[in-house]
Amino acid sequence: MSEPLAAAPKAELCELVAVVYAGDYVNKLSGQRIERECLTRMERGCRALVINFRDTELVNSIGVSILLGVIDEAERRGARVAFTNVSLHTLKLFELLGLTRLVLLADSDESALATLEEFSAQPNGH
Amino acid sequence: MPVRTPRQRRILARVAPEQFVGRGEQLRELTALGSPRAEQRGVLLFASPQSGVSELLRQTFDELFRQRGGPAPVYFAFTRADAATTAAARRFLQTFLTQVVAHRRDDPALVSATPTLRTLLDLAAPQDYEWVERLIQDFERAQGEGDERALIRLCLGAPQQAAAHGARAVVMFDDLQAAEGLRGEVSLGPAVAQSAAQWGVPFVVAGPRRRLLDLLNGSLPLAALEGLRKIHLDRLKEADASALVEGLAQRLGVTLNDETRDLVVQQLEASPYLIAALLDAAHTKGKGLTGFREFLSLYVDELLGGRVGRRYAAVLEEVAAAPALRRALLRVLYEAATNPSSKSPAEVWMKRLGADVHEFDRVVRLLHMHELANFHATYVETTPSAPWRDFLRASYRLQVAAEPRALVVADTLVETLKRAPQTMARHYRRESALGLGRVMRAFNFQSVPVSLLRYDRWARTYRGLAREEARAGLATETDTLPLPQVVHAASCASFHPPMRQLCDEERCTVAHGFETGGYNAGGEVVWIAAEVESKLEAGRALAELWLDRLEQVSQACGFERARFWLVSREGFSADAAELLSERDAYGSCREQLEHLAALLSSEGEGAGEGGADEFAIELPMLEDTELIAAHTVEQIARRMEFQPEAINQIKTALVEACINAAEHSLSTERKIYNRFRVEDDKLVITVSSRGLAVPVTLPENGVADKNGGEGAKGRRGWGLKLIRTLMDDVEFERVDDGTRLRMTKYLRK
Repeated sequence: MSEPLAAAPKAELCELVAVVYAGDYVNKLSGQRIERECLTRMERGCRALVINFRDTELVNSIGVSILLGVIDEAERRGARVAFTNVSLHTLKLFELLGLTRLVLLADSDESALATLEEFSAQPNGH
Repeated sequence: MPVRTPRQRRILARVAPEQFVGRGEQLRELTALGSPRAEQRGVLLFASPQSGVSELLRQTFDELFRQRGGPAPVYFAFTRADAATTAAARRFLQTFLTQVVAHRRDDPALVSATPTLRTLLDLAAPQDYEWVERLIQDFERAQGEGDERALIRLCLGAPQQAAAHGARAVVMFDDLQAAEGLRGEVSLGPAVAQSAAQWGVPFVVAGPRRRLLDLLNGSLPLAALEGLRKIHLDRLKEADASALVEGLAQRLGVTLNDETRDLVVQQLEASPYLIAALLDAAHTKGKGLTGFREFLSLYVDELLGGRVGRRYAAVLEEVAAAPALRRALLRVLYEAATNPSSKSPAEVWMKRLGADVHEFDRVVRLLHMHELANFHATYVETTPSAPWRDFLRASYRLQVAAEPRALVVADTLVETLKRAPQTMARHYRRESALGLGRVMRAFNFQSVPVSLLRYDRWARTYRGLAREEARAGLATETDTLPLPQVVHAASCASFHPPMRQLCDEERCTVAHGFETGGYNAGGEVVWIAAEVESKLEAGRALAELWLDRLEQVSQACGFERARFWLVSREGFSADAAELLSERDAYGSCREQLEHLAALLSSEGEGAGEGGADEFAIELPMLEDTELIAAHTVEQIARRMEFQPEAINQIKTALVEACINAAEHSLSTERKIYNRFRVEDDKLVITVSSRGLAVPVTLPENGVADKNGGEGAKGRRGWGLKLIRTLMDDVEFERVDDGTRLRMTKYLRK
């Protein structure tokens, strides 16, 4: 079963970037939690989102569709999305469904944050 | 000292039990009626003409009689000699009491005696005396009152009366059709069937299948038929018919050789009645059956003046009692038989017979019942049975054309002798036919390696390999061809009669079916398959000729979507294979067909019942239950030593399949059935659910397109695409209700 999501402590360190942890199974329910968390963060002014998949074993197509919704919304608001710690299998799945073209992929939150902080420092509307 | 099995004594049977062949299954089923645990209480026995139904019933009688302590067997055959319904009913009562008393006294000799009712009363066992006496008294009173209905009701009610007093019986009625021509107010056929159904006593009603079907479809109330077992008695299988010929020849001391035995079976169409009649005639006349000439000479004698001829003549007399009508009937039957299509409009028959509507209707219905002609409301067709047509031809020449008997006998013998090699050749061709219809009936939405239907691919990859090597290679082929489900297959000639001139019926088959995706117009397809005769690889010209023929059949029959499949024992030359490819037709050699047949039957078995290496789980359609399936399949895949990446792919595919089932089926039972079949080289997973069929082609968005503008809806529908990508073979199997998805992952270590 999917674990409860928690906003990453690092999100508190930087108001402009939030790290959201996906659970072990990204399905409709856990996908909606990710979505809610990301929307909340964006509403509070986050300009970049890091979704960490370190615990994720399985992602289903409903979960992917919700992630796509998050990406769409982020783009509409001028925010960027990064995926980190994605397992090889999940990565292939994302590639197959074209998600990897739409997000920044990083091995760790640190490298994602470094890239995204750079982005978030730029004026809105870039 | 060797142990000798005592020969079982025959009572009504005319053949020793050990020589009664080919009907073991039916005999067991009928004798089981005598068991107190029998689930069936009534049997309708639909007999094809001359299929030996009476002997089957007599054998059943003997078998039940020998089983002491069980119910008494009663065999009663209707006959037109009774003339009136009351006489038939009276004879039934007498037969019933005689056979019950004989059984209760264990006195088989009494069965063939004809004691009076009062004598039977004297012979009745003490515990039966009272009910037998009352039955006889009631009968005598009813007879005196002259009330036909009451008398018939009383006689037909005897088994019920006996059962009420502890004398159980199994009652078998034979020749039900003969009950219907009897004089009287009561229509005895339906009355017998209806009474028997109400007795609560085990019974069998036997008669010509077409007449029983008429009864079932109209004359009898449906309630009377509920729960009745229906057994169809067709002609013998050829192997059984051969055994019958040999057994009878041995018993009757008729010399026989193998070639003549086979011709006897073919010429007499494996009919137990005709075979017994011929062998009996050979015995009586002291003739051997050691050559075609000897047999056919005897056959012609039997046809023109023996038991076989008399039997046909008796039926014609029953159908048309008046000589003028019979002569007219012989003429129209003969003319219809010599007409290439064998069919004549009903109006022409009526006019030629000089009969009014009622008389015509009676005549054709009787012919139809005896299967001497087929009556299809607007036309009449003479049955294509060789003995019947031989009889018809000879009788026409003798009785209508008034030709000299010697000439007719000589011509008939010469003709049948000339036909004998053709009869045998046809038999051999039929036996050696590859059975395309049978193979196509087994398609059943299965997928098979493309190489089995594309000869060029087969030749490139498998030609020259040992059978096992080819089988192993085919098992690893991932390029598969989904086959349709065939719902009806019949010879091409039955759709397009001119094909009869071009090939044997068994060698060209038309199969109607549906491709995966459900029973809808879009999925309808007709496969037309033909065996091409060629000793070597079939060349381009031959392949072209056959494809043109099949194309003509398709056009003549108005098939909208047809697939052509040619099978040539040795395959096809390179240019013929190229032609097949150009015309999008399939081509196989005999070896491909054999692999295909083996594969279809093994897959069919596997998909049906599940072997020892099959796991099954049933999931409720609840949140996240697909994870339980995923974890289960993970354990199975690990045991099979799939690589971790492959295990993840299988899990994801299974999760998607379960989600599809839950989302699309609208199932009211809310369950998903998963089966995991472990094979040497693959894991086969089926996911099924009841409810709406999941569309085979769900909207597929390909890859994510954030500019698609379709919102969340545009982002869904990837499940099937994922499944197809992650698994090696994916197909929807047709099920009557809901959906069954089969996914296969091959093991690559």
